[in-house]
Amino acid sequence: MSFDFALIATSLPKILQGLGLTLNLLVVSTLLGLLLAVGILLMRLSQHAWLVWPAKAYIYFFRGTPLLVQLFIIYYGLPQFGLLRHSFLWPLLREPYWCSVIALALNTAAYVSEILRGGVLGVDKGLIEAGKALGLTKFQRASRITTPLAVRLALPAYSNEIVSMLKSTALASTVTLMEMTGVARTIVADTFAPYEIFIAATIIYLVLVWFIQTAFTLIEGYANRHVRKG
Amino acid sequence: MSLLDGWWDDFFFGLLTVLQVFAVALAIAVALGLLGASAKLSNSRLLRALAQVYTVVFRGAPELLVLLLFYFGMALTLTWFVQLFDPSVKFIDLPPFWAGSIAIGLIVGAYMTETFRGAFLGVDRGHIEAARALSLNPYQVFWYVRVPQMWRLALPNFGNHMLSIMKDTALISIIGLEEILFVAKMANSVVHRPFLLYVTVAMIYLAMTTVITLVVGQLEVRANRHLRGTR
Repeated sequence: MSFDFALIATSLPKILQGLGLTLNLLVVSTLLGLLLAVGILLMRLSQHAWLVWPAKAYIYFFRGTPLLVQLFIIYYGLPQFGLLRHSFLWPLLREPYWCSVIALALNTAAYVSEILRGGVLGVDKGLIEAGKALGLTKFQRASRITTPLAVRLALPAYSNEIVSMLKSTALASTVTLMEMTGVARTIVADTFAPYEIFIAATIIYLVLVWFIQTAFTLIEGYANRHVRKG
Repeated sequence: MSLLDGWWDDFFFGLLTVLQVFAVALAIAVALGLLGASAKLSNSRLLRALAQVYTVVFRGAPELLVLLLFYFGMALTLTWFVQLFDPSVKFIDLPPFWAGSIAIGLIVGAYMTETFRGAFLGVDRGHIEAARALSLNPYQVFWYVRVPQMWRLALPNFGNHMLSIMKDTALISIIGLEEILFVAKMANSVVHRPFLLYVTVAMIYLAMTTVITLVVGQLEVRANRHLRGTR
């Protein structure tokens, strides 16, 4: 048994061919998930029980079950229904790419809506009362006081969620997608050099994690520029 | 649910496997977390650097990749090692149960390291100084002053890490462990009801994570009982 450093170097460019798809999955599902999360957050914060309970049930299900199982339900499970196979959704649900995007987006939405809720609940009540006293409308209070402050409070947890999403995109390889982990698994099947290939893939993921964390450190610094000590 | 007739025992044994993986991985994760946190808080620069590399790598790499690396890597190493003594052996692997439990333990251990480190730092210095002033020895300070207090601080995150372990067990089906997701795949090749089968798997996992959440909630109430009435 030998450890072949040259093999790491030669496999890096091959694995990088999957980088585009990894980033594509990450960006598309994160954005869709964020939109969905805002909707769920509004339901969760509403005064009506018939809006709150579906949101709670959604969060409970998607945070309480493994993403891999959710992906299998969507990719293998949904085509069981003939009705779906003949509907306008079929062109989407037949593609492993869209199944992965849907599973990732639905999953992250549950986590992100809770992260954002933490931010909203963390906003100082006094500031909102001050807004009321100054005669701001409900919409103005939400858009100018609650939202900017809640986003700032939610940023650190949100950056962790993006890192976790990056790692979750690796599961797309289980439904035949050739993102980085998928490419790495194919190369290992050919060469049977698991150490070199999987370590090469790990290095790329670690670099991506570093980029995400650095970007969020800069964003947090910008969002908190008013508290910077001079 | 007559469609699942004949598969209930398979699901039951699959669930037992999940619980076994959970127990083994949790034990490994807690041990590594305590070791990692001690290393991060130690005076040795080498230990601190090692613990840092450990947490950065295992919190940054996808769980699936770590699992595959560990399983196939171990198979390669074991085969090479056994062939030194008996060249007739073609292939030998670490059983998926152990490869999976250890891989998950390694991953979650990295998260536990950060949780325990934060919790140790959260214990009031004054309490430790008071304990020393009362001439408790370092062992007593650790077990009677530090651990009971850090435990309370670590509980919420600890609960989340337990949920991660439970949900990560589903990944081990990919390397062939016969847990419930694997059972569902096998059953599906016979009864062809993928939606029903995978939703059943999801419901079993949901029941497990619900139990963990409830237990951790009770533990938190218990750990914080001395604070009741002060807020």
